[in-house]
Amino acid sequence: MKLLAMIGRTCLGAAETVGGITIVFARILRAMFPPRFDRDETWLNLYKVGVKSYPIVIMTAMFTGAIMVIQSGQYVKQTGATGLLGWGAGYAVLAEIGPVLIGLMFSGRVGANNTAELGTMKVTEQLDALRALAIDPINHLVVPRFLSMMVMLLLLTALGDLFALIGGALTSELILEVDYRVFFHGVFEGHLLDEYFTGLCKAASFGASISVISCFYGLNVSGGATGVGRAVNQCVVTSAIGIFVWDYLITYLAN
Amino acid sequence: MKRRESQETVPYGEIDTTAILDRKPLGDVVLEVHGLTHWFGDVCVLDGVDLTMREGEVVGLIGPGGVGKSVFVKLCCGLLVPDAGEIHILGKDLLALDDKERQELRTRVGLVFQNYALFDFMTVGDNVAFPMRQRGQASEAEIAAKVQERLSEVDLPKVQHLMPNELSGGMKKRVGLARANINDPEFIFFDDPTAGLDPVTSSKIFNLVRRTQEQRNSTCLVISHDIDRMRPVCDRYVLLYDARVRFQGTEQDAMASSDPIVHEFFRAGMVGRA
Ligand SMILES: Nc1ncnc2c1ncn2[C@@H]1O[C@H](COP(=O)(O)OP(=O)(O)OP(=O)(O)O)[C@@H](O)[C@H]1O
Ligand SMILES: [Mg+2]
Repeated sequence: MKLLAMIGRTCLGAAETVGGITIVFARILRAMFPPRFDRDETWLNLYKVGVKSYPIVIMTAMFTGAIMVIQSGQYVKQTGATGLLGWGAGYAVLAEIGPVLIGLMFSGRVGANNTAELGTMKVTEQLDALRALAIDPINHLVVPRFLSMMVMLLLLTALGDLFALIGGALTSELILEVDYRVFFHGVFEGHLLDEYFTGLCKAASFGASISVISCFYGLNVSGGATGVGRAVNQCVVTSAIGIFVWDYLITYLAN
Repeated sequence: MKRRESQETVPYGEIDTTAILDRKPLGDVVLEVHGLTHWFGDVCVLDGVDLTMREGEVVGLIGPGGVGKSVFVKLCCGLLVPDAGEIHILGKDLLALDDKERQELRTRVGLVFQNYALFDFMTVGDNVAFPMRQRGQASEAEIAAKVQERLSEVDLPKVQHLMPNELSGGMKKRVGLARANINDPEFIFFDDPTAGLDPVTSSKIFNLVRRTQEQRNSTCLVISHDIDRMRPVCDRYVLLYDARVRFQGTEQDAMASSDPIVHEFFRAGMVGRA
């Protein structure tokens, strides 16, 4: 009986969260058509999200590319199929590992920050103050964050892809002693354009889902500093789940 | 505070409107609240509260801590949605407005928050300028002049470039006051504007309330525990007690009332809740 009640409660909670996230998303869409959001705030957020995140994205990407090469290195060395090195690393990174890892970094870095910011504004009544001053927090705060997170995760993933390949090439040159030209030849001959675009598509949807989820948790904080902490925690967990669900869906559709 | 079971009528609450109307000419009704009821979970904070205010009137809303004064004000600004009741403000039925109309109405209503609610990511100057800038009807030069004027009114002419966390509690309060005032609202709610201020500044703030009212004929609802300093400002008082309006009227009415709780409030200031 207790177990049943627990399962019921969990399902209800999940349904409530999904419902709440959907409502936030619907309100964002409504504010975008026709566009009523704050332009200055959007520029500021694009800058904040992009510029602050690129070092960590570049680092993640380079390591990812390098690890892919090391993973396949043993096999390539044994068989001498060095042409496969670039293709293998490129395939894994562009379509799958790159967007997912960068998305997870991004949710921990930008999504959590966003929830904390909005949550603090909520508990200190700054959101109420905005509304009292005739400014809709959705137009002023949420839509700019949504747009900038979506656009920036897309751009950062494109950038990350590049650095992942560079990381892979460097590793193959330095550790496996495979010429970097051979590596890039493998990448370009592999016809990975489809994978590249699938990856970017994933990045954009990850960006959208991270921003909606983080805004939802931020706007719904209750109960002071502990409430903000809890919301940040839930945001990171739910964002990760969102990333994997989208990843699954898009991979399924693309194949 | 649980909902009261008995629906006993409170005999102390009659408003002597003639006395008020005699004192100075008042305009149209600008706030009409009827049967306002609000619950938090299973706690009834407001239980059928009625209030009518006329243009140019300054009403003091008093009551013990935690009785629901701030909740009342937030309901009147549309920041909370009541469980029952009607709110007509500046001729609009607040609960029937769509988003755009509510937005429009809010540009005509000012609110000073009890705990400041300053935007901590902008400077004090930007905080005060924000509502005006967002309206987009004034040039930067006009905005700067108005910000300077409003900040001087609250005795803070030199803090524009500071961030809110560099101010004391009382200074934040006054910045909140300047911000609420910048768009010359027709109706202003002051939620405890003098909490944490020294006596001299408190008096200045109440004078400012009076002056604002006189210059622009705006209507003000002032929440405060400082009945002594409210005296020269308020035309009439409303005492919230136990989720209801316990008393409405002038100080003379309060003194003439036979309700011991009303007496206690006006004689000794605050009483703790039993
Ligand atoms: N968000 C909320 N959730 C649950 N209960 C709340 C909430 N906000 C206020 N309350 C409750 O409503 C009651 C009234 O609160 P309110 O802030 O209006 O008091 P107040 O009259 O303004 O007190 P004070 O004079 O101390 O400012 C309190 O008992 C409080 O516990
Ligand atoms: Mg209060």
